[in-house]
Amino acid sequence: MIRDPPSSRENFPPPLAGEGQGGGPGYYNYPVVRRPVWTWEVPTYFWLGGMAAGAYVTASLAHNFGSADDRRIAAGGYYVAAAALVPCAPLLIADLGRPDRFHHMLRIFKPLSPMNLGAWTLTGFTPIAFARAASHAASTGLLRGPLGALARLVPTRLAELTGCALGLTLAGYSGVLLAATNIPLWAKSKLLGGLFMASALASGSAAVTLQAARRGVPDATLHRLARLESAASIGEMAILTGYLVQSGKTARPLTTGRFAAPFWLGAVGAGTVLPLLLHRLAGRHRGHTLQTLSTVAAVCTIAGSLALRWSIFEAGKASSEDQAASFELSSR
Amino acid sequence: MIDRYKRFMNLEEPPPAKKAKGFFTDTSLCIGCKACEVACKQWNQLPADGFALTGNSYDNTGHLGATTWRHVQFIEQAKANGSRQEQRWLMMSDVCKHCANAACLEACPTGALVRTEYDTVYVQQDICNGCGFCVPACPFGVIDRAPKHGQFEAGTAHKCTLCYDRLKDDMTPACAKSCPTASIQFGDVEELQQRARHRLGELKARGETKAELYGMPEGKEASEVGPLHAFFLLLDKPQTYNLPEVPRLPRKTMAQRYAWSAAVGVGFALVGAIVLGRR
Repeated sequence: MIRDPPSSRENFPPPLAGEGQGGGPGYYNYPVVRRPVWTWEVPTYFWLGGMAAGAYVTASLAHNFGSADDRRIAAGGYYVAAAALVPCAPLLIADLGRPDRFHHMLRIFKPLSPMNLGAWTLTGFTPIAFARAASHAASTGLLRGPLGALARLVPTRLAELTGCALGLTLAGYSGVLLAATNIPLWAKSKLLGGLFMASALASGSAAVTLQAARRGVPDATLHRLARLESAASIGEMAILTGYLVQSGKTARPLTTGRFAAPFWLGAVGAGTVLPLLLHRLAGRHRGHTLQTLSTVAAVCTIAGSLALRWSIFEAGKASSEDQAASFELSSR
Repeated sequence: MIDRYKRFMNLEEPPPAKKAKGFFTDTSLCIGCKACEVACKQWNQLPADGFALTGNSYDNTGHLGATTWRHVQFIEQAKANGSRQEQRWLMMSDVCKHCANAACLEACPTGALVRTEYDTVYVQQDICNGCGFCVPACPFGVIDRAPKHGQFEAGTAHKCTLCYDRLKDDMTPACAKSCPTASIQFGDVEELQQRARHRLGELKARGETKAELYGMPEGKEASEVGPLHAFFLLLDKPQTYNLPEVPRLPRKTMAQRYAWSAAVGVGFALVGAIVLGRR
């Protein structure tokens, strides 16, 4: 009978010629830790879940603290949050080795495991985000009939409070999950959780801007949103710098080689630098030009957010084969 | 009330705790026969790994994995111009360490990974949903997920069970039973640790100055993952055997990472309230 080859075999780097055992201090050039088995579904989920959370928080802030005009943009945020959450659970289930057992995630409550915490958070946040979006649709007359009447019963203030708490947890746990491993690129720095959080909030607020620009809200509101987005981008840039400094040589699979282009051009360039410049430019414009500039900046931020998750995720797989980085991570 | 809940949920009482069981792998006795690898595969009905040649000495196994729970390493220490006395051939049978604080067990979101009554770490195959979080969590690169569409227990995580089924019948795990030189010794962890200390003293007295124990409670390698219930006597530095100097337990730094994440979130909410709050 022909069996599947072990998944590990194809990932073995070729041995180095050296003094009998591979030149370096380790056993030939074999990896110390195992290569993560996750595929594209995971970074895509991190991106969508983070964007949903960011949009929900931005919408709630606008709804509670903003002017009458600002409140109008909240609608877009709630709809984006609900829409972005739709593919999240299916993506996570598809990535499981046994998708038919997805519900085993919820057979215990174990916040010590970020994976378990994330599963519970997504389970809690998704219905709240849907309820809040439905209640908004009902209040604007978009949702009528018995469903509309039901949606009117949703306590909005409570949904905003619990939704923001769960949303921030959803945006914040994903980086910590990757960091709670022994993959050098993910585990070395303290800042991966903060980095993913900042990226989630930047992309979420960008998604709200995208909606607002399309709906033609007053210029003052777009300017205020641009300031919020810029603040998130600046925060993201600062944390990213800290992350790269703390990672040092360990960050090489990310900053050089295959993932250098998506990281530097996508995550850094399109994700943070370009939107900042565009928002700065937009500050001097009004009307149609402002709407166009805001839209382009928002699209860049959202694309950059995906590039950030994807490049760090994939470079982590390369990092798992970096024997020297593993030894450095575990040395005292 | 609790009893009724337990009956409703069909919860069993866990078996009473026994003395901690483990392996003491004395690499100074290993002759690289791979009987442990074969015995493990046979008893646990693990499929073959194929016939790939790595070109690295006699090691064509390469790494522990979903269907490889013992792995014999061959380390050829030979300098091109060195004398025969300087040449060494180190062999070591690697296995799951059954850590006292196991990273895989802490990572597991389903409770599939449990600590047994023998104080070993075990994957319940009927619970595991193959989330894959234990795989990068293990600091030793032991546990792995079987390929999703393979023929062997597809899609779930696997590693050494310390022959849980054999322990239940008071039998010695297959690898230790098959070891012809007593390089793999099975028994109560405490007793094995005594034996290991004695053996180290013996080797040191014979001039094996580089010999050391790896995974003992007093070792710095136990500072995060705790004593290893499958521990080793090594004849060179741990890194020579691809063992990390101080294996990390991800939980130890998790709070700090959450704190940074929370700080960013709260900061954004405050900035948002201020920016949008300007009328």
